[in-house]
Amino acid sequence: MNRAGKTIGWLVVLLACGTGRVAMAAESGTATAEEAISKVRAAARFLHNKGTSGYAEFNNRDGNWVWKDSYVFVYDCRQDRMIAHPMRPDLVGKPIMQITDNSGKYIFKELCKAGSEPHGNWVEYAWSKPGAGALSRKISYALAADITFASGIQVSAGIYDETMTLKQLDAVLEKMSDPSRYQAL
Amino acid sequence: MAEQKLGNPAVVGLAGFGLTTMILQFHNVGWMGLGPVIWLGLIFGGLAQMIAGLQEMKTGNNFGYCAFTAYGCFWLALTLLLIGNHYDIYTSSKTDIGWFLVAWTAFTAILWVGSMRIHGALALTFTLLLIGFILLDLAHFGYPALTVVAGYELMATAAMAWYIMAHIIYADVFGRDILPVGKPWIN
Repeated sequence: MNRAGKTIGWLVVLLACGTGRVAMAAESGTATAEEAISKVRAAARFLHNKGTSGYAEFNNRDGNWVWKDSYVFVYDCRQDRMIAHPMRPDLVGKPIMQITDNSGKYIFKELCKAGSEPHGNWVEYAWSKPGAGALSRKISYALAADITFASGIQVSAGIYDETMTLKQLDAVLEKMSDPSRYQAL
Repeated sequence: MAEQKLGNPAVVGLAGFGLTTMILQFHNVGWMGLGPVIWLGLIFGGLAQMIAGLQEMKTGNNFGYCAFTAYGCFWLALTLLLIGNHYDIYTSSKTDIGWFLVAWTAFTAILWVGSMRIHGALALTFTLLLIGFILLDLAHFGYPALTVVAGYELMATAAMAWYIMAHIIYADVFGRDILPVGKPWIN
């Protein structure tokens, strides 16, 4: 009886810890893979509806496209330009294809390749978290945006996560690309 | 008393049509932003071309009357539509603009037939314009990369419009026909 009581006690403690962790994640504001996909798809839809005049909103640090520790950025793969970036205004209007991370990966070449796939895709690289100096592991979801009188435009947003594998992220993308469960773009 | 010489409104219409078509393509192929397209579209492609079109009425030229006035309205509508998008007034999505272009493609097809009865240069201009519109339609319905193809193709259209404008102006200032426009495609 005593043993059963102890087990239950431990279970309660474990459950409390688990709940605490989830609560902490929500409070500290860590963006999830699902959120990144939803935000990127909403951004592509927004630009489809609004055209090139929608670009400016993505430069707004306090706007809709910045949430928790993540944000959506917009870039032009055909003309090699950053179109909008809420955290790095210094990059806006500048060439992007030569940008590498600390492992020498050409970030935007990979993003452009992933974004041109039918449902978009993930790219893993190192980038600094908003407000942090050091580099973190970032995995971004890239997707083409269909805009009037423009071509080669993509939108992307990432999560900062040290543990999730690309396989797990692919599973999230696959789940969210099921038209019976999630509305098509 | 000598009869007062009148100018041909087509020179202004062709100038506005050519210049704004050209500058939109500079944007479509990625050389420049949309700002100058909007303002030139309103003033030259829109206002000036439409006035030229309305002046065509007095010359008895129904083709020019319809074409310049209509394409002037096209430019006014397109630029106001893009301004509307910026200010969230009746926002037009890419698909909406696609359908807008489809309607203009159908209209252009009617004038294209008429252009073949006028002269070769005009027939070629309208053939290129019609192809350009079709390419832009496709670019708005599933083939976005065609925007760039349409861009280069429509630059040729704009150049042809300027060629006809130059033909009229040079014939006037040189006193003889410098730039031939060719025979009608349909006799």
